Amino acid sequence: MKPEDFDSYWQRLEQELIRVEQAPECTEIHLRSTPEGKLFGLHLTSLGGYRIFVYYCVPHGKGPFPVIYRLPNYGSVVHIPPFEERCNHIAVALCHRGQRLSDQPFAASYPGLLTQGIESPHTYIYREIAADCLRVMDFLLTREEVDQGRISLVGGDLALWTAAMRSQAFALYYAPSLFYKSLHKASSSSHYPLEEFNDFLRAFPESKGQVETTLKYFEPINFASSVAMSTMMVEESEGDGDDLAMAFGREIDRCTTYHSSFRDGVRQAQWLADKLETGEPLLPEHWS
Amino acid sequence: MTLRDPSAYGTQVIKPDDFDTFWGELLECAEKIPLNASFSLDTMRSTEQVEVFEVHYDSLNDVRVAGWYCLPRIRPRPLPGRVFYPGYISEPTLPKDYAEQGYACFGAAPRGKLRSNLQFNPGYPGLLTHNLVDRQSYAYQGFYVDAIRVIDFLTEQPEVDSERIGIQGSSQGGALTLVAAALRPQVKAASAGAPYLTGVVDAIDLTRTYPYEEINDYLRLHPQNREAMIKTWNYYDCINFADRIQCPIIVYIGLQDDVCPPETAYPLMDRIRSPEKKLYAYDGHGHDANHHVHDEVVDTFFDDHLKT
Repeated sequence: MKPEDFDSYWQRLEQELIRVEQAPECTEIHLRSTPEGKLFGLHLTSLGGYRIFVYYCVPHGKGPFPVIYRLPNYGSVVHIPPFEERCNHIAVALCHRGQRLSDQPFAASYPGLLTQGIESPHTYIYREIAADCLRVMDFLLTREEVDQGRISLVGGDLALWTAAMRSQAFALYYAPSLFYKSLHKASSSSHYPLEEFNDFLRAFPESKGQVETTLKYFEPINFASSVAMSTMMVEESEGDGDDLAMAFGREIDRCTTYHSSFRDGVRQAQWLADKLETGEPLLPEHWS
Repeated sequence: MTLRDPSAYGTQVIKPDDFDTFWGELLECAEKIPLNASFSLDTMRSTEQVEVFEVHYDSLNDVRVAGWYCLPRIRPRPLPGRVFYPGYISEPTLPKDYAEQGYACFGAAPRGKLRSNLQFNPGYPGLLTHNLVDRQSYAYQGFYVDAIRVIDFLTEQPEVDSERIGIQGSSQGGALTLVAAALRPQVKAASAGAPYLTGVVDAIDLTRTYPYEEINDYLRLHPQNREAMIKTWNYYDCINFADRIQCPIIVYIGLQDDVCPPETAYPLMDRIRSPEKKLYAYDGHGHDANHHVHDEVVDTFFDDHLKT
């Protein structure tokens, strides 16, 4: 169920974020630039004055370019965007606060991050992480080399949140992740990272109600109706995301994962190329 | 689905004449360092069935290395051990579910991983090219030694049956599995998925995907160091360890793997001496190496070799 103050909760975040100057600092990392394009280390200021790091890759040639903005998965390390994407897109990968390269002064624990501050929606770390995701979009929207009509978002729930709060993006390729029916899924799993929820509730059983309340502010079902852009949702199994798909309130593209990084990767590249109108996608040699 | 024949590629790695001496001296040096293992019960991660300990031990260059040690609370007799090595960007797992099945489990965190990075932290990207031109100080020297000392740690534990230790991992975890199986003959069984750090000099030509792309980045900036890089890698390439692997081993790969090219797995299998070895090559799969389905094969393999 959506909390009554769901919208005002996120509006407050927006109000706080808008008061923080981006203060972008873009430095080419010559070691990672290629003949096809330059790779920059981008630093931005996010909520609370926290400096975050972003890989920002710009191809050579005449822009503006379409964008593939990859939101991070759960883990300490974020990969540099794939070579193939960097050749003809602005390829962006955020390291949110706590992840390596954005880990000063806060270095996230794994396991641990998923329940940090979860006792209240106001202290939950993912509130600030959501702000980091939005901050990158704010940066993209100021850039001349960015084709403002062709920004795509790729990732899990962080990508969905960003899509819901930054309607300027054009396409969303989304695989529901840790925040979709979190506690329900955790209750039938002993695998990390979901097991972090179980660990926390075992240690602090009296907090269950608070944890449930907090997670409602991050539940993808509560964001879906705000996403108006072209959307592909990749589900774990057929019908797994029926209620989430319904929550979009419109037809979206849906598919089930192949459990193959190759076949899932090809499908993602083709869908993005179709939406961004970039022609046949460049694929890794082993996928061709 | 695949048109190319990766087995025909012909990956070759030169094994230096002093390869065994190099590793023999290093292991001798490491053996002089006591593990000084410390255990800290993590009550939050422990369950009614499983105790979870954060473990630290000493390794090469006096680096203190961490890991997660998971034990079933009920252990009437010595347990088979199972080691889980992490991928390049992964943090070590807490294998509580396997502890519940009656294994003493260790999730390894070699130097540079979180909890093991106070003294050594080349970063990601960074690890793969850290001191790449010098085999004596290359990042993977200590990293490999940290991984094999997990076996030493388990062997020292009274609750573990040191005759029944299995090791596993995928990608970099697969590479560490191969190295540990080669350098610790007491390992009873091993499973390596999508092995990384195998046929490296060919791999960097076969893919543009990270982490191998780190080496291409490095060589673009320092082309003059290519020979030195190859010279170093000849001491670290998993293919050069393979002829020392004697235990039962399974290896699984995806034929469309753009991260660890499948071409490099075939010479690896050729070199493994174990009389019981099997390669599972999955068409239609990339770096996942079909683990979604293959995990069950791995579990059965270890149950067969470690629980009977």
